[in-house]
Amino acid sequence: MKDVAFGQYYPVESFVHKLDPRLKLLFLIAYIVAIFVATNFYGLAVCAFVLILAVAFSRVPVLKVLRAIRGVLFLVLFTAVLNVLFHTGETVYWQYGILCISKEGILFSVFFVIRLVLLVVCSSLLTYTTTPVSLTDGIESLLTPLKWIRFPVHELALIMSIALRFIPILSDETGRIMNAQKARGADFETGGLIKKIRAVVPILIPLLLSAFRRADELGEAMDARCYMGSKNRTKYKKLTFGWRDAIGFLLGAAMVTGVVLLRVYLTGVV
Amino acid sequence: MRIVAEHLSYTYNEGSPFAVRALDDVSLTIEEGEFYGILGHTGSGKSTFVQHLNGLIRVPSSLKKRKKKPKKGQPVPPETVLNVGEFDLTKRDTNFRALRKKVGMVFQYPEYQLFAETVKEDVAFGLKNFAEKGEKPSEEEIGRAVRDALQIVGLDYGEVAEKSPFDLSGGQKRRAAIAGVIVTKPEILVLDEPAAGLDPLGKREIMELLHTLHREWCKTVVIVSHDMDEISENCTRCAVFAEGKVVYDLPPKELFQKGEELTALGLDIPLTAKLVLALKERGITVDCDFTTEDFIQKVLALKGGGA
Repeated sequence: MKDVAFGQYYPVESFVHKLDPRLKLLFLIAYIVAIFVATNFYGLAVCAFVLILAVAFSRVPVLKVLRAIRGVLFLVLFTAVLNVLFHTGETVYWQYGILCISKEGILFSVFFVIRLVLLVVCSSLLTYTTTPVSLTDGIESLLTPLKWIRFPVHELALIMSIALRFIPILSDETGRIMNAQKARGADFETGGLIKKIRAVVPILIPLLLSAFRRADELGEAMDARCYMGSKNRTKYKKLTFGWRDAIGFLLGAAMVTGVVLLRVYLTGVV
Repeated sequence: MRIVAEHLSYTYNEGSPFAVRALDDVSLTIEEGEFYGILGHTGSGKSTFVQHLNGLIRVPSSLKKRKKKPKKGQPVPPETVLNVGEFDLTKRDTNFRALRKKVGMVFQYPEYQLFAETVKEDVAFGLKNFAEKGEKPSEEEIGRAVRDALQIVGLDYGEVAEKSPFDLSGGQKRRAAIAGVIVTKPEILVLDEPAAGLDPLGKREIMELLHTLHREWCKTVVIVSHDMDEISENCTRCAVFAEGKVVYDLPPKELFQKGEELTALGLDIPLTAKLVLALKERGITVDCDFTTEDFIQKVLALKGGGA
């Protein structure tokens, strides 16, 4: 009933939402490469511009996108401080033993922070705009060449999608069981560590039982429908490239080329 | 304990694109001693409503420290009231533990909440949780309470108490789970689809059990159901929920007079009400209270004093 929104998918209709998941995955890979190829601020500016464009066309609220950074905020700040303190340079503002604050150090750490932020925002934009199901579809399709070396691509994708499908079901179930035990006076909030761990038992056991029961039921249902894996299966949702994907592809290609050119012709800015 | 709700609204995932309005300005009073039925489709808000009754879902105002002041010029929304006996559930400092002891809640498929090693331990779970601090009930007291609870739900203490709850049959598991809720003798017992997934005989047995409980143990019984026959046979009064609102709040006898209107709402009506409607179309009026027994009596009377 109160369906916990799984992951971060943000359900609106937009240009980015309608892109082929395969393109989005490839775009993310290209983006990560571009970020690490860029060695100067101009290159990063190109990457940032492309990302701002993508966010604007995804219709996901900017605040929501920025919230993704919160999870890695500590890491970002930590590396920034380390970089400032340990990166030596020519223009030194302050020095104490091996610690020093220099112009180059500050620039380098700003550069690093931008890199990390772009990386995190871009990958979370993918999960904001792509449902888990179409993401696994995309991964399956991209991994198809591995079938030649007898890698069970379809089975792997199936395992992924079943696992993803079960997350909201089990989280619902957890809520239900917690409520049932709360109604019987269970208390999950107060008490010391031992008490809290003990309080989990009345949730964990019914939850495990229910997971096994559901797995059994699903297995039986698949068996009853003669599910045989990947052989001769057709797809309900066929992935097709459209004009949007062409635009996305061109944008990605332009970005990578631009970053590479900027690296070649503008070396040593940072 | 009397249940009074006024202008109760609830939205899941408020402020997100997944927002669902589950309750919309619900006002309902359930008197002490009633056997109250709550009817409605899935998603009509009936489960959301009953989960308010023991504070599993909190009235939004009871979670905020300071009340939001309404903006000037806007109409002031009517104040939400939710009282269960002496508990005011719109307040932040309500003692929810004490409330939950008084309001027992049996969820759908309660057998899935069993967890302990023995039936006795599982039934005693609530008893131990609700015990006041420093007043741990003795083994003897627990044993007695568990024995009483198992007996009233129709299980044999000697036979099942030391068994694992997972070794019981389906119907026994449900009874054991219900025993685990009523063991603290709540004044109000709320059950969400208590007979779901049982065969007709099992259903009847559960309903009989509820009547026994209503007579001997819990003053007020509230059942949530979409089975019209269950409601028409058992309840003193019932509410019909549709899209988060209370559409009707009547005794079953009056409610099922409105057979056609209920059908228009997409709800089923009890078999007896269907028969009454069919007979009405043929010009025969049967004035019964829609229980099977009464219906048969009245029809036989019409036929001429019982054949």
